Amino acid sequence: MSRIVAILFLAVLLVLLARPAMFVVDQAEQAILVQFGQPVGEVIAEPGLHFKKPFIQDVRRFDKRIMPWDGDVSQVPTLGREFILVDATARWRIADPLKFMQSVRDEAGARTRLDDIIDSVVRDIISGTDLEEIVRSADWDVDVKTLTEEGVAIGEVDLDKPKKGRERLEQEILAAAAKQTPELGIELVDVRLKRINYIDSVRAQVENRMVSERQSIAERFRSEGQGRSQEILGEMQRELRTIRSEAERQAAEIRGKADAEATRIYGESFGADPEFYAFLSTLESYHSMGANTTLMLGADSEFFRYLESTRKRSQSVQ
Amino acid sequence: MSDANEKVAALLKAVTGKTGGGRGGAGKAVPGGGARGFGVMALIVLGFVVWGVSSAYYTVQPEERAVVKRFGKVVSINDPGLHFKLPFGVDAVQKVATERVMKQEFGFRTAGSDDGERSYYSSQDFPDESLMLSGDLNIIDVEWVVQYRISDPEKYLYNQRDPDRTLRDISESVMRRVVGNRLGSEVLTTARVAIATRARDEIQKAMAAYDNGIHVVTVELQDVVPPAAVQPAFNEVNEARQERERMINEATKQANQEIPKAKGEANRALSEAQGYATERVNQARGETARFNAILVEYKSAPEVTRTRMYLEALNAVLPKVGSVLVVQDGQVGPLPLMNVGATRKENTQ
Repeated sequence: MSRIVAILFLAVLLVLLARPAMFVVDQAEQAILVQFGQPVGEVIAEPGLHFKKPFIQDVRRFDKRIMPWDGDVSQVPTLGREFILVDATARWRIADPLKFMQSVRDEAGARTRLDDIIDSVVRDIISGTDLEEIVRSADWDVDVKTLTEEGVAIGEVDLDKPKKGRERLEQEILAAAAKQTPELGIELVDVRLKRINYIDSVRAQVENRMVSERQSIAERFRSEGQGRSQEILGEMQRELRTIRSEAERQAAEIRGKADAEATRIYGESFGADPEFYAFLSTLESYHSMGANTTLMLGADSEFFRYLESTRKRSQSVQ
Repeated sequence: MSDANEKVAALLKAVTGKTGGGRGGAGKAVPGGGARGFGVMALIVLGFVVWGVSSAYYTVQPEERAVVKRFGKVVSINDPGLHFKLPFGVDAVQKVATERVMKQEFGFRTAGSDDGERSYYSSQDFPDESLMLSGDLNIIDVEWVVQYRISDPEKYLYNQRDPDRTLRDISESVMRRVVGNRLGSEVLTTARVAIATRARDEIQKAMAAYDNGIHVVTVELQDVVPPAAVQPAFNEVNEARQERERMINEATKQANQEIPKAKGEANRALSEAQGYATERVNQARGETARFNAILVEYKSAPEVTRTRMYLEALNAVLPKVGSVLVVQDGQVGPLPLMNVGATRKENTQ
């Protein structure tokens, strides 16, 4: 029992003594051995247990993962002299730990160098580009037909396809910045524009523009409403007139045909004896005489002819 | 045996003297007899055993996966359950919740949940996150949620530092790109679903490029509104649109009222005309039929009939007429024959 304990104890002691000669490299790390300030040997990228000369060699560890970088918000004028706030973000990794150690020492040093490099590249490229180019992408595809329906005031902002577009700009920024990082042992994975916004004074102007744009659209809707309403009413009037005149015309035609037919019938019939017809209608017109009519009869008319003839007859009898 | 004990005790004395108070708090160096030294040693051994046993197992919760590292190197990834590992810090375990769907909020924050009934949101606004520019250079306030899951715990832990933060950065960048490629009015209305889908795909693509083990489940747009200062103007547009519809509807209503009425009137006029036509022709037929009939009889005895008809007519007419004047050729004034009207008056009196 005591022997086992003793062995165990010696083992622990051995480990404690060997401790300065061993080091662990984590899965996320890579390491460089430094002897009296001088790097020794290859970069140790393989995670696991490694050995070194105790006390005289020192381990410098560097992250080998992709790391985030976030820049400060910077105020940059675009080519069109609009001041905008640009916030870029980037990803980077330590590609060459040796160079990295020598040139920037540690991550804090790297960060300040990246700040300088990326900020200046972003400024350079943004200030040489129109805002539309930064906002829109190469696959910009605005259907002009939707504009008239949904009402965007065209004219104030041109809606052309961008010449480069956002991704191309980001690629240019990356290319320009990545040129400067290899000497720091850094590989720049990507640079992206995270936020782009107007500065406050410009923002107020843009909001005013948006308000007036909306108001003009509202005005257009209203006048469109009036226009359509008038159009519908006009159409209605036209239709009403068409319907009415058409009806009048047809009615007149029907009446006319009937009159003609009647005339033909009368003509055929009365034509058989016009003299008798005249006689008959004269008699009929007598029937329509009223109480206020004064009938004038000639003394030699037929009515009196018989009075006359009876007197003659009685005279001749006497 | 006792010899060995003494040796160990001496050794222990030496060791505790050297490292005492340094590692593990194993006990103070106590100079003294063998029994006492043995007791201390037993304590140390016990301490080691406890440490060894307690660091030799771990449990993994159902939603988690465990990444096991031996001397810093990943050796296995274990499923939920009870697992054993090498003790004394040789094996280290990192647990990652792979089954849990996590959420990042942009432009707002969920402040808490009310007994699981409903969530309430922080009243604080995050305009820096949510304000962006649309393709027509208008400002728009977009709030959205990214839901994601860790699909590969090893990649999540060891390919990228702080992948959640990268996801945040990339989400903001992608959302601004997608919104910047649309018109403001589209973003507010028709393009919401397309934007969310597009953003999800692009964020996923970026995550795949970093190979960081994050799987983006969905991107959901929440409030998408114009900036507060412009909101009333947008409402005005909506009102104007309503008004336009109202005016058109009213005009249509009037047209719908009047046109059928006019059609009815037209049909009525036509029917009347047709009625007139029928009447007129029938009248003509009737009159001529009568004339023809009379004419036939008249022709058989023209003179008599003519005289009879004349007299009959006078008979019928004379009682009705106001006065009858007889006029003789060559006489100056009309000669009153008889005052029929006056006699009738006398009769009635």
